[in-house]
Amino acid sequence: MQSQQVQQNPAKRVTTLKPFEIRGRFFTAVAVHLTGPADAAFYQALDTQIGQTPQFFDSAPIVLDLQNAAGFGSSEEMGLLVAQMRSRNLLVFGIQHGTDQQMQAARGAGLIPMSGGKDKPLDRQRPPRAQAETPAQKAPEPASRLITEPVRSGQTIFADRGDLVVVGPVSSGAELIASGNIHVYGTLRGRAMAGVNGDHNARIFCHSLDAELLAIAGLYRTSDDLPADMRKKNVQAYLQDDVLRIEAIG
Amino acid sequence: MSKVIVVTSGKGGVGKTTSAAAVSAGLAMRGHKTCVIDFDVGLRNLDMIMGCERRVVFDFINVIQGDAKLKQALIKDKRIDTLSVLPTSQTRDKDALTKEGVKQVLDELREEFDYIVCDSPAGIERGAHLAMYFADEAIVVTNPEVSSVRDSDRVLGLLNSKTHIAERGDGSAIRAHLLLTRFDNRRSASGEMMSVEDVLDILAIPLLGIIPESQTVLKASNVGMPVVMDDKSAAGKAYTEAVGRLLGEQIEIRMDVGERRGLWQRLMGRTA
Repeated sequence: MQSQQVQQNPAKRVTTLKPFEIRGRFFTAVAVHLTGPADAAFYQALDTQIGQTPQFFDSAPIVLDLQNAAGFGSSEEMGLLVAQMRSRNLLVFGIQHGTDQQMQAARGAGLIPMSGGKDKPLDRQRPPRAQAETPAQKAPEPASRLITEPVRSGQTIFADRGDLVVVGPVSSGAELIASGNIHVYGTLRGRAMAGVNGDHNARIFCHSLDAELLAIAGLYRTSDDLPADMRKKNVQAYLQDDVLRIEAIG
Repeated sequence: MSKVIVVTSGKGGVGKTTSAAAVSAGLAMRGHKTCVIDFDVGLRNLDMIMGCERRVVFDFINVIQGDAKLKQALIKDKRIDTLSVLPTSQTRDKDALTKEGVKQVLDELREEFDYIVCDSPAGIERGAHLAMYFADEAIVVTNPEVSSVRDSDRVLGLLNSKTHIAERGDGSAIRAHLLLTRFDNRRSASGEMMSVEDVLDILAIPLLGIIPESQTVLKASNVGMPVVMDDKSAAGKAYTEAVGRLLGEQIEIRMDVGERRGLWQRLMGRTA
């Protein structure tokens, strides 16, 4: 009964049990290009190479490239080569660029015939980083932002790299955010957050203060905490000893 | 060149539908071919205020979905022959509106009418968005109280960013007018309501008119007659004048409190 139930609801089974997941995977293999028959000279050269850089070849996944190699047309011949290489801890798992006959032989010897892929010189050294960081030649964009329309309730204006200047009123429910200073030539009824990237020297200036919230570098005061005698005044707000101060200007 | 005017507010119950009915009737009474569309899908009201609810056969949604021709859905007003009403569906919801469908209907209406007045639903979601999206001008209906003013402010922000004209990105903007409704001089003077000056200071758009709180508005709605047709009522007169200003006429904004003469001059300065 139970198995029947499971069958009736295969989708649920898959989502709940998840016996496996399928993911794409890229990895690097070492391609060994054979240029001749696998004779004694070949194995001697191979041993010399391994002796020079033992760690490099240790347990390395290896693909045999047969583009320039004749022979290896039988599974036995191929199997002998693979056994010899595996005995040297070279983990051969596939061949590439073989003839049809060689591919067939490789399959018989338990190798995977590979197609595609690109050879790349195995170079442990990374290209120098400085190359990527060549300075851009074009002139930098202005870091400050100028808004000449009223800033409406629900709008957020963000000057992420400098000062924000608003010519016009900022409504309650609107937000001004700047990494630098904020200037409002009009009534500020919304929120203003200056120095949001942690600049303690940022300031907020406005022609008429009626803000919901003022903040500099994360230190804030809400409208309840704003001094009553500063309301509707031309003021600036700044940080002094980690206290948000508001004073009249002009 | 026909004009699409959206009547919007954000907040509900401020008098959008009453104003849409009054403004469209006012435009039609001056001889302009006018059509008023109800965008409040699912809460069909405009047809009742226009007094044509018994004549609704096909609606806006039927036209958008291709079930009826525009001509079949349009209801010609029996009192003003230049006025037509495009009612909406009471059984569907705002999801039945599509941008392409609305554009197609408006394009077709533009060929026949001088003014197309879109009565927006409350809120800022799909219905309200599509009502304002293709507009050339906007009438923002606001009551003199803080929540209505804030919602109108939000809507003004959307008019400047989420509309066809704003999205063209060539710096052009919808012309927005403020219509202050349900205004009571006495309560405003005593500080119970916001003053006209305060509202204008926050919204910073030209004032189209001040509609006094009036019993006649409710009465006119109940009998299905746009209040603008009642030329004896103060509200009716105020709408008539607002329509004149919408057409570019210079009409002084009247307020019945004599001692605030200084304010009149300020208001005139803003509308000019």
